[in-house]
Amino acid sequence: MTPHPACARSDLELGRLADGEVGVVRRFLLSRHLRHCAACAARYEEILTMRRTLRERLPAHRAPPALAARIGAALAAENRPAPVPSHPRRPAAFGARLGGVLAGGGVGVLAGIGLTLLVMGGSARGDRLTEDVLASHLRSMMGDHLTDVPTSDRHTVKPWLSARLDVSPPVHDFAAEGFPLVGGRLDYLDGHPAAAVVYRSDRHVINLFVWHDPQGGEAPPAVRLRQGFTVICWRKAGMGACAVSDVERATLERFVSLVAAAG
Amino acid sequence: MTATDRQRRFELLVLPHLDAAYNLARWLAGNPADAEDVVQTAYLRAFRYFETWRGGDVRVWLLAIVRNSFTDWARENRSARLVFRAEPIDADHDPTPPLWTEPTRDPEAQVLGELDGQSLATLVQGLAPEYREVLILREMEDMSYKQIAAVVGVPIGTVMSRLARARALLRRAWLAMEVA
Ligand SMILES: [Zn+2]
Repeated sequence: MTPHPACARSDLELGRLADGEVGVVRRFLLSRHLRHCAACAARYEEILTMRRTLRERLPAHRAPPALAARIGAALAAENRPAPVPSHPRRPAAFGARLGGVLAGGGVGVLAGIGLTLLVMGGSARGDRLTEDVLASHLRSMMGDHLTDVPTSDRHTVKPWLSARLDVSPPVHDFAAEGFPLVGGRLDYLDGHPAAAVVYRSDRHVINLFVWHDPQGGEAPPAVRLRQGFTVICWRKAGMGACAVSDVERATLERFVSLVAAAG
Repeated sequence: MTATDRQRRFELLVLPHLDAAYNLARWLAGNPADAEDVVQTAYLRAFRYFETWRGGDVRVWLLAIVRNSFTDWARENRSARLVFRAEPIDADHDPTPPLWTEPTRDPEAQVLGELDGQSLATLVQGLAPEYREVLILREMEDMSYKQIAAVVGVPIGTVMSRLARARALLRRAWLAMEVA
């Protein structure tokens, strides 16, 4: 097998092709070349076989549970009340609001529109969803990626999200009610893409996640409290939704009633 | 935010990637005890600098810290053998000819195709760390060139050439083993 004279750099090129790291034009040109150059075709086959073999047979080392325990203990030891550096994008004073959230309560607003509530209960699936929603919420606030479309214009946010998802999420500006629209973002929840519609309540961020849920049926809003955050999830008309924030629970319930009523 | 909240938040986001962190450390350090030390150091560092995480892929952020912790650990332990070379050979400027041009002995042979996991592991462990790590990140962590570049802290072009070189070296090691 004599290498093709025009193939001086193709180890790298063929590797990129095997890794799916070439654009469509180069992919087309390389594929065409492979049909006519037996040497490159054979090398490409070898790279693919090598990749497959490594993926299937290279032993993965899994962390011993004792290591997780040691890390947990080390974190706790490290965790003396040191001052947490402020972050410009993060709403201030999480701790101050914690008490309010826990003290807040009442199902009045939601009961008013005939919805029942589950508090701190529910299925394992619901718990996993809650953890996912909370993790996404934290990510959105701690990074610099709160929104993909930062605008209070719902006529911009809604089509942007609809074009990228198999769901047309409800987007409203509840500024008059104290929940101005901040923008929209593509996110991932429980293994599927979801729209994140971002609102504010004073300086608190509210993430409203909405996703396509054809088999979900109907479920009334269920409230879960986690680490000072409130998560309210419900299902309606082929759509799943979760609202999450560290605003007081009653405030988030009011927000959810607005969303539910607006449809 | 209370200190406990911060810890819970950290655990929620970063602890799920413990297997990935350990796997990388284990492949770099070459033994379980050192890998555990490296990972524990990395997690403590990550926790201390949690606020430096600016969103995005937590796994990439964490594995970059694991890699740096390994480098520091290797330096402290004076394991020159283990440390990444300051100026690794760039395949683009490598004076040696492309290794892939060596033909296989048996044209029907599927390179590496018949190797069991343990022999394969021995070959991969024999590669220099800068080549070993890109293979692990690519094939075991399924990272893109961009993600690998972020973990290793080099341009994407360097990731490409190191990966090509890593594969060529692995192929050569396999051919050498076949002869032996
Ligand atoms: Zn060719």
